[in-house]
Amino acid sequence: MTSIAGDPSPAEIAIGFAEGREDSLAAAYRRWSRLVYTLAIRVLGDQHDAEDVTQQVFVSAWRSREKFDPASGALGSWLTGIARHRIADRLEARSRDRRNAAAVGEQLAPPPVADDQLVDRVMLADELDRIDEPRRTILRLAFYEDQTYPQIAERLNLPLGTVKSHARRGLLSLRDRLKEVNSDAS
Amino acid sequence: MTHLDEEVLAQWALDDVEPEPDAADHVATCPQCQAALAELRDLSADLREAPALSTPPADVWTRITTELDLTPTTTDPGSSSPRSGSTGGGEAGVGRGRRYGRGMLTLAASVAAILGIGVGLGAAALFGGDGQSPTNPPVAVVQLEPLPGKTGSGTADLIQAGNELQVSVTGLTAQSGYYELWLINSDGQRMVSLGVLDPARPGTFVIPADLTSQGYRIVDVSLEPNDGNPVHSRDSIVRGTIPG
Repeated sequence: MTSIAGDPSPAEIAIGFAEGREDSLAAAYRRWSRLVYTLAIRVLGDQHDAEDVTQQVFVSAWRSREKFDPASGALGSWLTGIARHRIADRLEARSRDRRNAAAVGEQLAPPPVADDQLVDRVMLADELDRIDEPRRTILRLAFYEDQTYPQIAERLNLPLGTVKSHARRGLLSLRDRLKEVNSDAS
Repeated sequence: MTHLDEEVLAQWALDDVEPEPDAADHVATCPQCQAALAELRDLSADLREAPALSTPPADVWTRITTELDLTPTTTDPGSSSPRSGSTGGGEAGVGRGRRYGRGMLTLAASVAAILGIGVGLGAAALFGGDGQSPTNPPVAVVQLEPLPGKTGSGTADLIQAGNELQVSVTGLTAQSGYYELWLINSDGQRMVSLGVLDPARPGTFVIPADLTSQGYRIVDVSLEPNDGNPVHSRDSIVRGTIPG
């Protein structure tokens, strides 16, 4: 989703969250629940488990908010870190169950993990979702649907040069946003 | 030669076609431009593999507030107070500030006027599901009616337990600009862009979080000029209201 008019910035959410403001928890959920849920569903492959993990992430983040320092890191990255732990816990529980169920000596496939690459890609998708239109749609058509610039131009009724310019600037803007997300909360 | 313009590097990363020889020569000998190009290429490759985001069902938030025993009034996930004048959120924050700051009062007035005189409120046929596949029946069908002085019409089907809108329009034939779909809060203060709408075919749009129950019920299609300004153009063409 793109910005909701009037929603606080990530840094403002982070400060309110650290102060224990409940409206900031709600804002954090609005801002990052899709990222957490998508990460969980991609690794766990199960909607029910992904819902549980999403619930656990926000509950445990809120309960341990004293450990979050808005001056030292971004809230989105902190929540992503908690999500990775909760997903790993869920995988470990599954693999315990499988070991218990499997015959002794049977080879089990290595479980999936929420590796850095997947986390990067989901964060990227999350940032792409926030880019202003028409760049968001242009980048989506180009990258998700593999459409060529002329196809996009025709579909959106935009001049070809405009489409290419939006794609370039969209890519640069994504790069800058990711730097912001991965640096500090300022 | 000075460093390459980053838009040249971005186009290079996107197209994977070398620009003019001068630029290629420069990059061959410039570690800084090489690094910048490599970063953009990695980003471009990651974008191709990026998954589409999924929205958790609305009851996940309810479960969180229940488990934490929070006050529902302050923790409504769809409510957001208007931004104060403070900045500091970087580019994203500034963008939102601009979006709120410009045009919002006029829009509020126009929404209020529309609500007041009762024009443009589409009649909603609950469980109208004609034309839908039986596995994906709409929760509601919203008729999109033209605003005064505009032409066009359409329907917005609320599907996937209210998490998605399937929108199709007819009679939208602007020669320039593009159509954008918005959800506007009935308070006239807040709105969310759901994306670009192709007037030639039905489009499916995800409704973020649980916005409809928070008052984001006005489905609005605007005509946006190609001016690079992300705020609502205030040129609304058709509208309808999701039933409560």
